[in-house]
Amino acid sequence: MNTTPAAFRLLWPRISKNSASAVVCYRRPYASSATAVHNGNQQKPDWNRAVSEAEKIVGYPTSFLSLRWLLSDEIANVALHLRKLVGSNHPLLKTAKGLLYNGRNNMQAWGLIVLLISKAAGHLNVDEMEEDKAAGVLHSQRALAEVTEMIRTSHLVHNGLVNIYPGLYPEPVILNDMAFGNKIALLSGDYLLSNSCAELASLRNQDLVELISSALRDLSEAEFVGRRDSQNNPLPSPFEPLNRHFNSKLPLNPLEPSDSLGNMPLTPALQDWTKRNVLSAGSLLGKSCQGTLALAGHGVELQKQGFLFGKHLSLAWQAYLDLEPFMSGSPYSLGISFNLTSAPVMFHLEHDPSLFEEIDKGVNSVQDVDYAKIHSIVMKGPGIDYTKQLQKEHSRKAMEVLEVFEESDARTALSNIIVAMGGE
Amino acid sequence: MASRITSGARLCVRTSIDKLVCNLSRSRHHNAVDTAAVRRGSDRILQCYQKQSNRMRSDHQRNHCRRFTTLQDTDTDSLSSIDPYRLLDDDLRDVYTDITRELELNTNQDELRTIATYYFDGQGKALRPMVAILMAHAINYHMNNNGLDKKQREVAMIAEMIHSASLIHDDVIDQSDFRRGKPSVNALWSHKKVAMAGDYILAVTSMMIARLNHNDVTITLSQIITDLVQGEFMQLGSKETENERFAHYLTKTYRKTASLIANSVKAEAMLAGADDQLVDVSFEYGRNIGLAFQLVDDLLDFVSSKDAMGKPTAADLKLGLATAPVLFACEKYPELNAMIMRRFQEPGDAERAFELVHKSQGLEQTRFLAKKHCLEATRLAGKIAESPYQKSLLVVPDLIVNRMK
Repeated sequence: MNTTPAAFRLLWPRISKNSASAVVCYRRPYASSATAVHNGNQQKPDWNRAVSEAEKIVGYPTSFLSLRWLLSDEIANVALHLRKLVGSNHPLLKTAKGLLYNGRNNMQAWGLIVLLISKAAGHLNVDEMEEDKAAGVLHSQRALAEVTEMIRTSHLVHNGLVNIYPGLYPEPVILNDMAFGNKIALLSGDYLLSNSCAELASLRNQDLVELISSALRDLSEAEFVGRRDSQNNPLPSPFEPLNRHFNSKLPLNPLEPSDSLGNMPLTPALQDWTKRNVLSAGSLLGKSCQGTLALAGHGVELQKQGFLFGKHLSLAWQAYLDLEPFMSGSPYSLGISFNLTSAPVMFHLEHDPSLFEEIDKGVNSVQDVDYAKIHSIVMKGPGIDYTKQLQKEHSRKAMEVLEVFEESDARTALSNIIVAMGGE
Repeated sequence: MASRITSGARLCVRTSIDKLVCNLSRSRHHNAVDTAAVRRGSDRILQCYQKQSNRMRSDHQRNHCRRFTTLQDTDTDSLSSIDPYRLLDDDLRDVYTDITRELELNTNQDELRTIATYYFDGQGKALRPMVAILMAHAINYHMNNNGLDKKQREVAMIAEMIHSASLIHDDVIDQSDFRRGKPSVNALWSHKKVAMAGDYILAVTSMMIARLNHNDVTITLSQIITDLVQGEFMQLGSKETENERFAHYLTKTYRKTASLIANSVKAEAMLAGADDQLVDVSFEYGRNIGLAFQLVDDLLDFVSSKDAMGKPTAADLKLGLATAPVLFACEKYPELNAMIMRRFQEPGDAERAFELVHKSQGLEQTRFLAKKHCLEATRLAGKIAESPYQKSLLVVPDLIVNRMK
């Protein structure tokens, strides 16, 4: 994929041939099956084209943004340690692979989105020295795009820790590997976070520092929402009544009270799904888009539009990802695990709470639920149609914001990305 | 033979101080110890430092060295009745309460609140907030400012919050079961949630930093976070050679401990509107206090009882870390070198190293080095206008060197 971070490719030579080929071999079968899945779904090539054309518009591929931090001693150190972990089962390897091969899940294109909206909006009264003329964005906006990707990546890496508890690994060698993997994962994530802090500080804009820090806060909060199994995987909880958890005292709260989403009335399940995904995704992309417009000197009103664009785009994206296991011909019907808090499952639970019986089998480990059974139940219910509608509504909202901007190549690229996701 | 080594080691300490002082005045605040220069050392730590200091002396900054060698012990007798904690009682009393309130305000998740506020139970020494507020008052007095600014008190809270966020992540990394005499966070909650709680504290702290609304203060305080992480990375590797080890240890100590104190007092001075020179004095004061504090901490790891520290003794050895007492003991007992390289992993290593440290002069030498840093801190505090707060700044070094836990 074009969105594969080139920077991570640079990391490759640092990892020994053996481990590199081991990782590649491990990954290949999955890659081919993934392609098979998407062959039934004609959107993937469009997606690729949309992203690679968008990258041309804002200068160079987003992945280059991260070159600087990847060439540092600390990351070289991490690469060496990762090598030691090859052969162990630590999820950090999977996270690293995900970043290397960039499944769409990882939304590596976040930095790209931030740059595109920057260019689409243009900038006011800025020092020429600050401008990257060829790309039509400011250097500070590029730095912000980089910070967005670093925060997102650090969160993924920290999420890749293993909860080690007594008795989980009776074999001391394995226990050691896992503890070491946790250490590396924690430190690598912290490294990215500390770099983000330094980079943000250097932009000398305290409103921006507060805004983006609050997005990091929201990401961490997301991991505490609802029921969790022993590895902190989420399970649906009984739905809360409407608008209960809106806290007006929370500074820079990314959640806004509302009664509906376009033509969809707000229901407890929709509210729950929205809360989870705004915290874990919408907040960061929304606030980054808001922040980049602030850097360009735009007023509060347009900044707010930027927030809405990022938020709705990421939610449309999430809805699309949630749908994937339920597309026709998907191998998930055979019992591959999927996210139990994905929109189709949540909507189905609202329609028929008896599905909670199946869900509750996973309270200790989400691996204990019968995915084939849940899959077939959800497939027959209304959850999938609701999710398609959810995806359309968020895509439409994102498109609406784009109309605020004048026609431009960046704006076209953004709308192409939304279309490629299957929206509108 | 024994006396030669002892005097050699003592010389080593002395020259290392000279070198440090020279380096400090040379380097900008980001790198306390010029590792590249130290790397050129020869086989033994001693020779390494001798060459270093010779090279430094011929440096254009030699007057800094001379000033240090003529430094005289400050008479601290008249200061013995001063208690900085009592002096700052009003400012410090609610620091933990205010931090807790800030952390509780920023989330709707009860479990996150509980983990994030776990170490702010008021049982800590609050050394960092104390030193920060002390410096703020002293500089304010020096500048004829009014009392403590609200923002200056926030910097003290921020210092303690960054410290706690790093403790929480350290707990996951070190797999320790106890801290400050109670179960550590990772013994009570899952690793992932603890990691996220650490990120959460960092995020809330960054929001507070932003609200200080001072560009250079934000950059200064962000430097602490970068240093902490880089220090943690340094602790990972044991690839350095014997000669590099001490410099590596000092740089690591700066990044992991001293940077926080140095940069937070620097931020206090900046908020007071101090000029660059005074800001530098604050920074250097904090750096020396921080280094002394960690040296004493490393020393106490070998002598304190479990009850006093709230954590097991010789914990560093068990984690595979070679701190100052071991590095000094190496001079007398070269067999420690092999143990350091294998990070005390073989059965009996930690016990044997513990014994050798006690048989050597390592503990005395570590204390000596800590005292030197305290003396330097005292000298720097002497540049600030006299006030009860400034006098307390003179007392803090003694508190640090003489503490039992």
